[in-house]
Amino acid sequence: MTFKQVVWKMAKVHYKKYLLYLLCNSFVVMFFFMFSTLYFNEQIEQVKKLESLDYVLNIPAIALIIFSMFFITYAHGIFIKRRKSEFGLFIKLGMTNRDISKLLSLENTLIAFLAIVIGLLSGGVFSRLFFLLLINSVGLERISFQLNSKMFYFPIIIFIIIYFFAVGKSLYLILKQNLLQSLKSNKVAESIKLKSPKLGVLGLVLIIGSVLGLFITYGGPHAGEFLYIWFTITTVGLYLCLSQFMSFFLELAKQNNEFYYQRLLLLTSIDYKLRQLTSILMLVTMMIMITILYSTIIVSTYMLNEQEMLSRNPFDIAFLQPETKDNLSIADLDSILKNEENPVQQHIVIPLYSYYEKTYDGWYNLYNIMTVEHFNELTSKEVKLQGREYLHYLNVEPEYAGDENKVIQEWIIPGREGDITYSLKKTIIESNINSFLGLSDFIIVSKSELEFLKANVNGFASKLHLINVVNWKETRKTVEALEGIFDNEKIPPILDVRGENISQENPFQIASKIDGHNRNIHSNGMAFFVTTFLSIIFFFASFILLYLNLFSEIDKEKAKYQKLYNIGVTTTEVKRMICREITITFFIPTLSGMGLAFLYVISMTNKIGGILRNPEILWQFFSVSGIYLIIQIGFYLFAKRKMLSHLIQEK
Amino acid sequence: MVILDARNIVKIYGESLEEGSTTALGGISLSMKKGEFVAIMGPSGSGKTTILNILSGIDKPTSGEVVIEGKAISEMSTDELALFRRQQLGFVFQEFNLLDSLTVKENIMLPMILEKKGAAEMEEKVQSLSKFFGIDTILNKYPYNVSGGQGQRTAVSRALVNEPSIIFADEPTGNLDSKTSEVIMECFEKIVQELEATILLVTHDVFAASYCQKVVFIKDGVIHSYIVKKGNKKEFLNQIIDNLAVLGGSCHDI
Ligand SMILES: Nc1ncnc2c1ncn2[C@@H]1O[C@H](COP(=O)(O)OP(=O)(O)OP(=O)(O)O)[C@@H](O)[C@H]1O
Ligand SMILES: [Mg+2]
Repeated sequence: MTFKQVVWKMAKVHYKKYLLYLLCNSFVVMFFFMFSTLYFNEQIEQVKKLESLDYVLNIPAIALIIFSMFFITYAHGIFIKRRKSEFGLFIKLGMTNRDISKLLSLENTLIAFLAIVIGLLSGGVFSRLFFLLLINSVGLERISFQLNSKMFYFPIIIFIIIYFFAVGKSLYLILKQNLLQSLKSNKVAESIKLKSPKLGVLGLVLIIGSVLGLFITYGGPHAGEFLYIWFTITTVGLYLCLSQFMSFFLELAKQNNEFYYQRLLLLTSIDYKLRQLTSILMLVTMMIMITILYSTIIVSTYMLNEQEMLSRNPFDIAFLQPETKDNLSIADLDSILKNEENPVQQHIVIPLYSYYEKTYDGWYNLYNIMTVEHFNELTSKEVKLQGREYLHYLNVEPEYAGDENKVIQEWIIPGREGDITYSLKKTIIESNINSFLGLSDFIIVSKSELEFLKANVNGFASKLHLINVVNWKETRKTVEALEGIFDNEKIPPILDVRGENISQENPFQIASKIDGHNRNIHSNGMAFFVTTFLSIIFFFASFILLYLNLFSEIDKEKAKYQKLYNIGVTTTEVKRMICREITITFFIPTLSGMGLAFLYVISMTNKIGGILRNPEILWQFFSVSGIYLIIQIGFYLFAKRKMLSHLIQEK
Repeated sequence: MVILDARNIVKIYGESLEEGSTTALGGISLSMKKGEFVAIMGPSGSGKTTILNILSGIDKPTSGEVVIEGKAISEMSTDELALFRRQQLGFVFQEFNLLDSLTVKENIMLPMILEKKGAAEMEEKVQSLSKFFGIDTILNKYPYNVSGGQGQRTAVSRALVNEPSIIFADEPTGNLDSKTSEVIMECFEKIVQELEATILLVTHDVFAASYCQKVVFIKDGVIHSYIVKKGNKKEFLNQIIDNLAVLGGSCHDI
């Protein structure tokens, strides 16, 4: 048997080590590939440019790269650790460090190649599936799955770079160091690290401090830059907390011997686990936190936008029918609006007379004149006007009124035969007309005055249509039909009155809830799509990490439980201990990630009046975390079953 | 008073009568009284570890019966056995079997903790045992920070902490140098003399065996012969060496 044959035989016997390592790497390639099918999708790139959604995709891309760096390094570390004892044997049998490096490079090249092939294939399949499922459910039918060369370069290049660094580091260490020595030092490295309860407390202080800092600065100037700072501090605090807080707690527990000794095995094993797995648990915690926070923010943004859209569109459909287009009769309109399943409930038609006033700096102010009767119908008020009295009506939310709220006691309008003056009776600020029409400034006069103004002032007449139906979500077809009729090209422009600074489209716009809704879906749906996509990737990744670290130490665990069994610990007790440990590794990161996300959500909602005034965000947070928790519990049960069957088999 | 009584223990690994099955023990009977200190010796592969594991209930015999303090342990369930082990038996292993995440003190206490004893009682017990074995200064250290001898003394303290009827030791000096082995064997001698403990020891080390009162030799899974200490340690040592020579085979540690 030659040496090569020995190596090959050992590889065959230990194929499981390779398989796990290969799987991890394939996962990374798969995740990257799935992401790049999204990132480099041409239709999505267009939307990205249009809606400045770059950040939505760039932040996750960075997160994914950082994550992969950690993930590959970790998987490689486990692989090398398992191989080290074999290498030790090879060296004792006469292999040189150079031979070992050659062997390692060969193995790793092969694995990288396979990982890329497997990753690309599976990534393609999953991404396809994902597009199919999610695009449809979000309603972004315009985006379709596609492949191009960029999508292949990105994952392959990034993967190779990260992989190269991980393998390069091990090779360097093997060539530089005496391998047998590093085998021994392995034991020392795994020993219990520095214990410092004070650092644990410091970690907690840092976390609380950063959340408070966020609470105070968010909404102020430079909130974005501050966010990075607070996030970094939270990360450091979390690291200290995870690694040291348990030793702080142990110190406390030791004050009460009865309590401490009864829970000794549990407490020390939590402490041990936390300290050994600090970086993994932290990564998982951060991943969970970001996923939950991000999806809460996006879903909340969508919901807030939707709310604002509703409040800005009091009527389901609103449009201005200019005089030049008056040939469309009410009967024609009715035939468009008529819909058995979705009948019109309310249709107010308000005649307007609009007048453009040239300001001193060359701009135009648009005044829309309306009769007081129509005004009363619109607002359900009972205002009465006499003679040359007028009401100044601003169609905006009172809090957005700002300096528009200027009081014009005397409104002077130049008529064909000299100025006409109206005196102010009252200013009314409230939002009653869909704001997207661009109509904000109204002059309300009596019916006879409107007739008088029409006859004496240069302006143009139009009709404001305000329509409510039973279900606005079903109005898409109707709105499209109306848009067809009021197509701007069919309408002669009225340039003489409005000048070139005012786009001619403005008055002909249709403002409908369904349009606002679609715009909202479009910008947020995209973000939602990306977040869901990444959440799923992060989700599986965090599970794989937890799973890896549980099972990478399984031999040690087995030995530990054998020891316990030998000195008389019953199987039931061992089972209970295993369950507790798995529970801890799974739920400490989940719960602390959720906790941190919650604190961040609270702090960030401070800007918009606090969490209590935005119950929908709270609700959103809990449903996102709830879903996360449920799936995590599923994973947990799976891992637990596997672990128990591994550890307690023969007995 | 008979503490341990084993009758006709047979252990066959794998399905009996099939190819590849090993008869590790071919019918061993053994009995120990209170305060006895017995060593089992024999060539490698003769079945020493196997008999010890069966006598202590870690492993089950293919046939035969083990009775400890009047209880037939072969009839107990796995969990009953585990409970019995931690209440009635003490163990010392070649690789100490200490838990890395616990301090020396906590390792010693472990059997008492499992029995849910009170804190004060545990403290007291640990103090007296650690003084007895001279490890009271390292109580708060972790196992990887203490020397082999200290580790094994910790294991011996742990074996004693529940005041077991009998202590089983499988090559307790196997991982130690001769000087440290001596310390450990003196410990055993001391607990037999002062605490009236009963100890069954498996060893390759003739020097360690010479501390015992009786040495049982096994070969190929059956008892070959035994000798009882009559004179001093030196004479007994020579006697053991002679006997091992008769036993033949390769007794590598001589
Ligand atoms: N789990 C097992 N399965 C099959 N055969 C076993 C098993 N354990 C031990 N044996 C066999 O039983 C016989 C006795 O083994 P045992 O471990 O008791 O020997 P030992 O006397 O303790 O040897 P050593 O001095 O080398 O420790 C040996 O032939 C061994 O190969
Ligand atoms: Mg043995």
